[in-house]
Amino acid sequence: MACGKRFMLGNHAIAQGFLEAGISVAMGYPGTPSSEIMEYLMEEGGKRGIYAEWSSNEKVALEGAYGAAMTGARAIATMKHVGLNVGMDPLMSSAYTGVEGGLAIVTADDPGMWSSQNEQDNRWVGLHAYIPVLEPYDPANAKELAQIAMEFSEKMKHPVLFRTVTRVSHTRGPVYVCDGKSPVFGKGIDRTQKRFALVPANARKLKAELVGRWAKIEEAVEELPVKVEEGDPGLLVITSGSAFAYVMDSIKELEISPTVINLSVPVPVQRRKVLDLATKANKIIVVEEGDPVVETQIKAVLFDEGIKVPVLGKSNFVSPVGELSIDITNSVLAGAMGIEAPRRRGMDLGYEPPQRPPVFCPGCPHAASYYELKLASTTSKVKPLFSGDIGCYSLGINPPFDEEDVLTDMGSSLGVGMGINRGTNGRSFVVSIIGDSTFFHSGLPALASAIYNKTPLLLIVLDNRTTAMTGGQPNPTQAIPIEEAVRGLGVRNVYSIDPFNVKEAVNTMRNAIDAVKRGETAVVVSKRACALEAARKLRREGVEPLIYSVVEDACKACGICYNMIACPAIQPKDDGRAWIDPNSCVGCSVCAQVCPYDAIKPSGNLDWIKRWGETL
Amino acid sequence: MRINIYMIGVGGQGLITTSNLIGAAATSRGIKVLTSETHGLSQRGGSVDVHVRLGDVNSPLIPLGGADLVIAFELLEAFRAAPYINENTKIIVNSRLIRPPTPRLRLPSAEELINKLNAIRNVKIIDAFNTAIKLGNPIVENMVLLGAAHAAGLNLAIDENAIIEAIKSTMRMPELNVKAFKMGIDLVNGSSPR
Repeated sequence: MACGKRFMLGNHAIAQGFLEAGISVAMGYPGTPSSEIMEYLMEEGGKRGIYAEWSSNEKVALEGAYGAAMTGARAIATMKHVGLNVGMDPLMSSAYTGVEGGLAIVTADDPGMWSSQNEQDNRWVGLHAYIPVLEPYDPANAKELAQIAMEFSEKMKHPVLFRTVTRVSHTRGPVYVCDGKSPVFGKGIDRTQKRFALVPANARKLKAELVGRWAKIEEAVEELPVKVEEGDPGLLVITSGSAFAYVMDSIKELEISPTVINLSVPVPVQRRKVLDLATKANKIIVVEEGDPVVETQIKAVLFDEGIKVPVLGKSNFVSPVGELSIDITNSVLAGAMGIEAPRRRGMDLGYEPPQRPPVFCPGCPHAASYYELKLASTTSKVKPLFSGDIGCYSLGINPPFDEEDVLTDMGSSLGVGMGINRGTNGRSFVVSIIGDSTFFHSGLPALASAIYNKTPLLLIVLDNRTTAMTGGQPNPTQAIPIEEAVRGLGVRNVYSIDPFNVKEAVNTMRNAIDAVKRGETAVVVSKRACALEAARKLRREGVEPLIYSVVEDACKACGICYNMIACPAIQPKDDGRAWIDPNSCVGCSVCAQVCPYDAIKPSGNLDWIKRWGETL
Repeated sequence: MRINIYMIGVGGQGLITTSNLIGAAATSRGIKVLTSETHGLSQRGGSVDVHVRLGDVNSPLIPLGGADLVIAFELLEAFRAAPYINENTKIIVNSRLIRPPTPRLRLPSAEELINKLNAIRNVKIIDAFNTAIKLGNPIVENMVLLGAAHAAGLNLAIDENAIIEAIKSTMRMPELNVKAFKMGIDLVNGSSPR
């Protein structure tokens, strides 16, 4: 491949940068907005002989990359911001031991919480762990900086954090790509040194070394790129990451010319570069995506140097809630200069459209499982407290299901569920609901705890054979039958259901509920491939499709199909009768099974459902 | 030169494919382009928007009131573009209405919604969905809309051939997609189909 400009997704640019830097090992756990990095590495890296895997969770991924870097390899781990919480244990250790090769941990933060439970700013983690953080501002810059990050890590023999955000990861733009280096594998580990063995005696020595290395890193980051836009020296704007792009557009629009410096390293802040400019400034504005991470450090630097200049930023002037935009940087810069920002509000079109919340896809097996769980618990006369988890099935919080009462973090359905049971002295009937990928991510240790401590609860594993929420990545369920894993852990009450067999699924769930009533732990594995993945695969294989339609005269407008399963392919007509959109229906057959008037009929090949059951 | 295109629709309608084509076409002509998409929790059925910025731009998001061109892939979603519209914004609206799957939701009729939109300047309403069905496959609805958007102002930045080349080099069924794209151009120009 010759060098050239390509229109690329930010995440692909990050992956390309690391490829060109010669990584040989990449491990990750999917999570928006990070997933496309590993997908690209699997696709492109495979051709170069790079080892890339989806690990069962972020801790495992980070440990894998860390272990590879111990041997001298160049390695990365990828995850979303909250994934780094799971990987914190090895991350903290990696700073103590350092690495032999290069180790970059990519954290994709999600300011604005487009698909996350919080908007934690992982640049703080760099300060906490003594690990430098590099941060790109657009896809082209992301590719360059990824290469620089890997080289810097190997030079310092120290891990680096690479922090991207949604608006870099999920922005596409022109990127200059080349072949780059061949993969750099490691040689092994010198067994005589025990450098990577953190027993206390070793760790005490390494802590002192770490502090010394950190001082060297503080010096070395001065050699890494900054971008300076010369302007009025009296007003200094300091940016990091995507903030730089917004500020540059704002300056043009407001027709102002402050001096702007963009730091590619927000942690530890490139202090000498800033100080040169800060001594000439009579006002400093720090614009950054997230929390006042750069601002806090800048203030400390200025204090140490005895420079007294007002610093405006996320702690006192810019809201740390949500993501940046040109409108925000306009009002920040204009406000700091005492000028008017353009006031634009859009146009009133005279109608407020209804919200279009995300819903289960047509034919989603989760929707069927939730319908069946509702029916089973109602007829078994229990009023469960539903402890949910992170995945597509979080949508079970919505009407008509309303079967997700708490959901906080990966794997929490079991841990929190047990706590609810204990906290109410056993009075709460807890149903924990978890997906297959989340089960292997962090459900397993929690389930072991529930079994060992004899906690009565019903665990429903919604096994759709893939990590659907992040785009259908493979996960251990494709190799390890969950029922067998659970039986191996010692659960006696293990049941399998096919959510597309409504009557049997409800009966089986009722049996499981009875077991919990007796004070036991019960597990129901509801197994059916994700509708999106299955339909795509079956169509590709040329399987004759199946769709359902409503026999108009037979429909009595009871609304059970569209009100209770809430399949988006089924819509009520003006007279209340159901209509199935033939372009949306994927032939799951659930509506036909719940229709009390037998008014929904198939057309096509019924073999489709059987083949669907065999996919993935 | 700077052109801001705000695209909004329903997940599954092919917005991201469409913005990728604009991106590839612009890049092939040496025009800087940034596109940014928000896809939230689910893959299908929710509102999706894509910001496309061409020319002299650094950041990926269109400022409020800053759209030069709006492509609304769905009738209800067109109204959600309101914060980005100004009095000079050219607006292409697909007349297709996709009901949100909220039980017992009351909606105005398509006619009422179209009348509201026609009350503002520079709105062009086209029936991309049925045009696509007539061409043989509803999946090319997005290309009909792209053609319409091209005729409505995208042509100031990117020539027709750049987009056709991008379609041919990246899409399955290139002939059908090119046909749909050209049909979209004709729908806006009011000329008879080529």
